[in-house]
Amino acid sequence: MDEIQELLEDFLVEAFEMIEEMDQDLIELENNPDDLDLLNKIFRVAHTIKGSGSFLNFDKLTRLTHHMEAVLDKARKGELTITPDIMDVILESIDAMKGILEYIRDNGEDSAPDIDIEPIVVKLDAIVNGGATQEQNENKKKEEKPRIVGNINLDEITLENADDIDLDSLSPEELDAVLEHLVELRNSAPKKVGNINLDEITLENADEIDFDSLTPEEADVVLEHLVELRNKGDKSSESSKESKDDKKEENKDNSNTEKKENLSDSNEKKEVAPKKQALTQEQKKKEVKKAISSLAEQTIRVDVKRLDQLMNLIGELVLAKNRLIKIYNDVEERYEGEKFLEELNQVVSSISIVTTDLQIAVMKTRMLPIGKVFNKFPRLVRDLSRELGKKVKLIIEGEDTELDKSIIEEIGDPLVHMIRNSVDHGIEPPEERKAKGKPEEGTVWLRAYNEGNMIVIEIKDDGRGMDPEVLKRKAVEKGVITESEAANMNDKEAFMLIFKPGFSTAAKVTSVSGRGVGMDVVKTNIEKLNGIIEVDSIPGQGTTFKLKIPLTLAIIQALLVVSQEDLFAVPLSNVIETVRIVEEDIYMIEGKSVLKLREEVLPLVNMADIFEIEKVLEPEKYLYVVILGLGATKIGLIVDRFIGQEEIVIKSLGEFLKGLPGIAGATIRGDGRVTLIVDVGTLMKLAKETHNRKIVTDSLNEAKKKKEKPSDYTVMLVDDSAMDRKIMRGALEELGVNLLEAKDGVEALQLLKSNDVDAMLIDIEMPRMDGYTLAQEIRKYNKYRKLPLIAVTSRATKSDRVRGVEVGMNEYITKPYTKEYLQNVVRRNLGL
Amino acid sequence: MGSLNKIVKQQQQTLTKPEENISEEVAQLVGFVVGEEEFAVPILSIQEIIKPIEWTRVPFTPDYVLGVFNLRGNVLPLIDLRIKFGISANDIDENTRFIVMKIKNEDVAFIIDRLTSTLRIKKKNILPPPDTYSNEEDIIEGVGRMDDGRIITILKVDNLIKREEIAPNNDHTSTNL
Repeated sequence: MDEIQELLEDFLVEAFEMIEEMDQDLIELENNPDDLDLLNKIFRVAHTIKGSGSFLNFDKLTRLTHHMEAVLDKARKGELTITPDIMDVILESIDAMKGILEYIRDNGEDSAPDIDIEPIVVKLDAIVNGGATQEQNENKKKEEKPRIVGNINLDEITLENADDIDLDSLSPEELDAVLEHLVELRNSAPKKVGNINLDEITLENADEIDFDSLTPEEADVVLEHLVELRNKGDKSSESSKESKDDKKEENKDNSNTEKKENLSDSNEKKEVAPKKQALTQEQKKKEVKKAISSLAEQTIRVDVKRLDQLMNLIGELVLAKNRLIKIYNDVEERYEGEKFLEELNQVVSSISIVTTDLQIAVMKTRMLPIGKVFNKFPRLVRDLSRELGKKVKLIIEGEDTELDKSIIEEIGDPLVHMIRNSVDHGIEPPEERKAKGKPEEGTVWLRAYNEGNMIVIEIKDDGRGMDPEVLKRKAVEKGVITESEAANMNDKEAFMLIFKPGFSTAAKVTSVSGRGVGMDVVKTNIEKLNGIIEVDSIPGQGTTFKLKIPLTLAIIQALLVVSQEDLFAVPLSNVIETVRIVEEDIYMIEGKSVLKLREEVLPLVNMADIFEIEKVLEPEKYLYVVILGLGATKIGLIVDRFIGQEEIVIKSLGEFLKGLPGIAGATIRGDGRVTLIVDVGTLMKLAKETHNRKIVTDSLNEAKKKKEKPSDYTVMLVDDSAMDRKIMRGALEELGVNLLEAKDGVEALQLLKSNDVDAMLIDIEMPRMDGYTLAQEIRKYNKYRKLPLIAVTSRATKSDRVRGVEVGMNEYITKPYTKEYLQNVVRRNLGL
Repeated sequence: MGSLNKIVKQQQQTLTKPEENISEEVAQLVGFVVGEEEFAVPILSIQEIIKPIEWTRVPFTPDYVLGVFNLRGNVLPLIDLRIKFGISANDIDENTRFIVMKIKNEDVAFIIDRLTSTLRIKKKNILPPPDTYSNEEDIIEGVGRMDDGRIITILKVDNLIKREEIAPNNDHTSTNL
């Protein structure tokens, strides 16, 4: 039962693939009705589906394909020319086939009550009968002698009674024979193909087969049969190479005549003119061998779940690799120049390279050519243009460009909308085009290519284009935007209006578009994939849409940014650029902060405002801005620091926290900490809200502290010796600053958290937590990144000083020191 | 193979059966202190207990959701029971622990002040929460009276954290531009 199920699944996968291909081939055929190769290919596909369908007892499907095949066969023999009307019938029958296959997929049988094939069959028959001859349909069944192995009559064994065989009682030879027989039975359907009796073909007489006279599908079957035979031959120990050759010589005379008769017999029936064999036996032998070896090339179908699992494991590996690199960097600083570092470096690099390669390799297994999606568009455009009475040519380029399977699945619908849109809105009716002096036939280009980590899909038409002023007026009429918004819009922004919900430019609503939902859906779908849409249009000359989509979803390149104390990962595919600005670069338009960047005016928002992060950092001279792009929108996001670019693995935040606005998930970084990944889609929405209520320049100054006189400042003294603290206190009280005291690192950290400290004097050797560790801990916090830390110690060797710099000390004072020296150092660090 | 499966099954049955019998009368709990009060949860709902580690804040969550942290490659939410129960949060000290529990098939960690011990308590000694308890969120399973006279609040683990409270489905729909 399972076997049948498996077979059925394979059949369905294959059939859907083939039909899709057929769709495309048929459209191509309509343009080149004389392309015999193409006709043969289409015929072969129909034939294969018929064969497998009949084997699986899908009578309805078989009946339909059989009649379709008859039409194609006539066309193939040149007795019939494919006219658009005939093509309509063929396409109709393909749609019915699809319907039946879908029904089979869902219900396991092909009754498909909703699909009535009879009218199609009648039409197909009419086409066939319109020609000269009737299609002959003979099923020649060859009588076979009972094959007996041991005590078993193989012909008595069928797939149905196989379970009744008492396998234990069989000898090994018998068992082998029975199993082989069963396998044969299962594969028997394809063997009936054509008029060739495969059982009569052996490796020895293969040379005599006249391949030129065979139909392609016959040739396929014969080759398959030969491969099978060869494999069997390899296994059987009895036939050594020499004896085979001998046999071959012997058999030649006998089999030659017989087989030739058989084959030429079939040739006549198929009405394929027997071609003269220009090739020598030797050449043909080579050809057969070549064909056999190419057949032996193998592909396997793998469950996507397994690939997903593999991808997850690779994700973990990438995280471990990041962690390893981090550790290496830490160790490198610490043990510079030591011998083992070099070895460690080599290991880390090679693991890093292998991991990256592995990731790319696995990613590739998940990649499918975008042609899989593109294939359905020739049909779409053909049907649509016939329906609308337009003449449209579709040119597809770059269908080999590969994309992750999950993205391929998502991209289909938006593309359908866009292509429909181009044909319906873009391309003008023939008369109008003629009047404008354009060729009657409009052209739509569908193009895919790689650009960095993104794939670009371009949909271009040479139709009427879009007028930005018209778009603005419509949008204002429909209340999508206000007058003043319209006035401030540049052309590109105006084109983006078509993606607004409720916006439609079609004067009349047709069945294909004009309902004002299509382009909105496109935008939503592309945003789901973190993609970017670009539109360009010249009135009267056409419109170009560009969809930029990241190659994969699971492991992404991200820009790590810091907002106040919090780290965020922003998908690099949405980062258009990063810029450094000063406060003077910020302008106000209608009470909102904007950034003027070259020609563009971008809304500007502080990331800390979006995520409601407490502001602890004092504003600095330079502001760092990430320019984010998504779908049709761009925005400037102020952050406090850029960390850099890193490869990250997206992990879910779990059932309870998922779906938080602005957050797509989390990743684990090299240091083991969790970093949140920004969801650019929802972040954009949040940013817009924030932009309306918060002025960036105000928000920047929220954390600004006002300090003028020495008593506004606080200095912390960290030393385990009460006497040392007293000496420091004595010196610094004269400055007039406030002083705090801590006995060790642990106490100092606690004091630091509850007090506003402007500088710290730190002893190195202390109980519980020493000065080095304390400095290290303090520097972990972004808000203490600039806090002056001054080591005050009697340890004065060079390595001590180096260590101090490493952990983040700003100054190094060796005991004993003069009061004035200490005062100077502190004053300098406080900026007094 | 079949016989092996049988044996394994038998073993499992003999292992679990007496357990079931016992649990009919006795509940096994883990006790811990949050603030001044002692609480307990069923021992089987606990995945593990770990020492505090660093966590990452997550925006737009209630204040008792401290954030998320990395537990051996998994990202887990961290809930502060002290804030959840309206008790002012203490500093993290050497007694503070994260208890990782499985709630609706998801691991969630809770900060507690101190572990006490594992407890066995007869089911008949567990009473429904008295009316005087504020139990609007239905997070109290019952009140257990220990043999030594201690009173312990037994928590309903599944109700300790609710998705609706943490991320209410407020679509941040955009106002026009």
